[in-house]
Amino acid sequence: MFKLSEIKELIKLVDQTSVQELELENEGARLLIRKPGKTEVVNIQSAPITHTYTQPAIAPTAPQTGAAPAEQLSSSAAVPVSTPADNLHKIVSPMVGTFYRASSPDNPAYVQVGDRVGEKTVVCILEAMKLMNELEAEVRGEIVEVLVENGQLVEYGQPLFLVKPE
Amino acid sequence: MEFQKILIANRGEIAVRIIRACREMGIGTVAVYSEADRDSLHVRLADEAYCIGPTASKDSYLNLTNIMSVATLTECDAIHPGYGFLAENANFAEICDSCNIAFIGPSPDAISRMGDKSVAKQTMKEADVPIIPGSDGLIEDVDDAVAIARDIGYPVIIKATAGGGGKGIRIAEDEDSLVQQITMAQQEAEKNFGNAGVYLEKYLIGMKHVEIQIIADKHGNAVHLFERDCSIQRRRQKLIEEAPCPVLSPELRERMGQAAVRAALAVDYSGAGTLEFLLGPDGNFYFMEMNTRIQVEHPVTEMITGIDLIKEMISVAEGKPLSFRQEDVQINGWSIECRINAEDPERNFMPSPGQIGFYLPPGGPGVRVDSGAYPGYMISPHYDSMIAKLIVWGATREEAFATMKRALSEFAIEGIRTTIPFHLKLLNHPKVIQGNFDIKFLEEHDLN
Repeated sequence: MFKLSEIKELIKLVDQTSVQELELENEGARLLIRKPGKTEVVNIQSAPITHTYTQPAIAPTAPQTGAAPAEQLSSSAAVPVSTPADNLHKIVSPMVGTFYRASSPDNPAYVQVGDRVGEKTVVCILEAMKLMNELEAEVRGEIVEVLVENGQLVEYGQPLFLVKPE
Repeated sequence: MEFQKILIANRGEIAVRIIRACREMGIGTVAVYSEADRDSLHVRLADEAYCIGPTASKDSYLNLTNIMSVATLTECDAIHPGYGFLAENANFAEICDSCNIAFIGPSPDAISRMGDKSVAKQTMKEADVPIIPGSDGLIEDVDDAVAIARDIGYPVIIKATAGGGGKGIRIAEDEDSLVQQITMAQQEAEKNFGNAGVYLEKYLIGMKHVEIQIIADKHGNAVHLFERDCSIQRRRQKLIEEAPCPVLSPELRERMGQAAVRAALAVDYSGAGTLEFLLGPDGNFYFMEMNTRIQVEHPVTEMITGIDLIKEMISVAEGKPLSFRQEDVQINGWSIECRINAEDPERNFMPSPGQIGFYLPPGGPGVRVDSGAYPGYMISPHYDSMIAKLIVWGATREEAFATMKRALSEFAIEGIRTTIPFHLKLLNHPKVIQGNFDIKFLEEHDLN
């Protein structure tokens, strides 16, 4: 039998390499990990695609103004890299705009790590075209992590806060 | 002024096309995408890319606010709207102006004047461009329609003024049919386009759809780049386009070209645009509508003139004069385009979305493929079904046909159904080979 921690480790390893498929048999138990999508004939056409993808100068989903490219890449690559505990709730941005932690530069941040929030608690401002939009938590719990920086451009669906729900 | 960065407010093959032009001009590119398009080619090719909404177009590619936010926050100098989506949205063009971002296209005023089909007809009439006999503006009521139809003769066509792209059209064979359909047409128009206005036109037979490409700068220069024959249509959606038109005489070409230039100047047009005409077997041509944007089939014009329309659009938007005059442009050779869609021609063109497996576009001399597809790419059911545009060039029409058939048979797309076999049948049909097909060709001929 494979232990859960072993399986998690194997998944991580396969994910981080170009291995497409991994099959293991151990004491009667069989584990198959397979990446979706790419087929046998990848070597003919995909070379130009992977070229662009891995070029360091081009980070297609990292905005110029962002100070934390790692978060941007993981959020738009749809690969859940942040999994210390999978039951954390992500507050994501419902629009494109600039993320502000407080209502003005002189005011304190709406929330800090460790703060408790309710559904109606305002957690940040998202500004677009001079319009300030207050974002509500829509969940009850505790702020575990702030994922973006003050003044950063955020895109639709981008995770902003990690919350441990009640 | 020179643009440093352009936002491409579109997706799929046209977004890729625009990014390519920008790359060659040394202009930075910003792509926007819906959640469904995360793995798209245009996202991978752009210098920067931002998610602007969920899958639904109205919340993403039509989301003015999110798109403008990205443009302003990434300090773009201009936005290229491509075709469809916001390309002919005068509101959007105005918002760009007020945010000091160049809209790569004509002015909001030119867009509105040509976007309202019945206003466009009136403008053309005043510019001495022949129009289809019909109502003078919108129909007031059923009695009005009946009177006009008696005047111009049946059959008549009822068109929605806010329609376009072949939608919002009904035919009435006689008075009873007209009376029955007028109210329905008005209700449909209100529901689909938010504008109940309809107008009448004489329904002409044996017509070819011949459109003229024009391009104008902001210094009063307008040039036509000849015609495209787009008569092969299924339910008013173009399938194959060619340039030049096989039945156009040089004299008629000149007259139509000049009419198109007059039309552009009449609305102070700038940028690329297309005047769509109906051409009768008697050599008479009539204005149908003007598309104030770049068109899907622009590559065939590029192939026969050697002009890069997207680069020219960008250059015009930067304020530069056109890089050529009318006397500099000439037709060289023949070009055909086949729109390859993810549809099953054996099942009445049922959409066939899904994941592309093996994918090998054709190559060799005279072959051009404009596409956003790649092996493993997921053709989603949420947007249009086009996989790729296959464009060929030949020194003569016969050579272009031979190259297109060769290229179609090399084009390998596995995992989904495509219209490639249907195109091969079309290109082997005697009427298509002869060149005198009209817009009813596919309706009247069964290719199987």
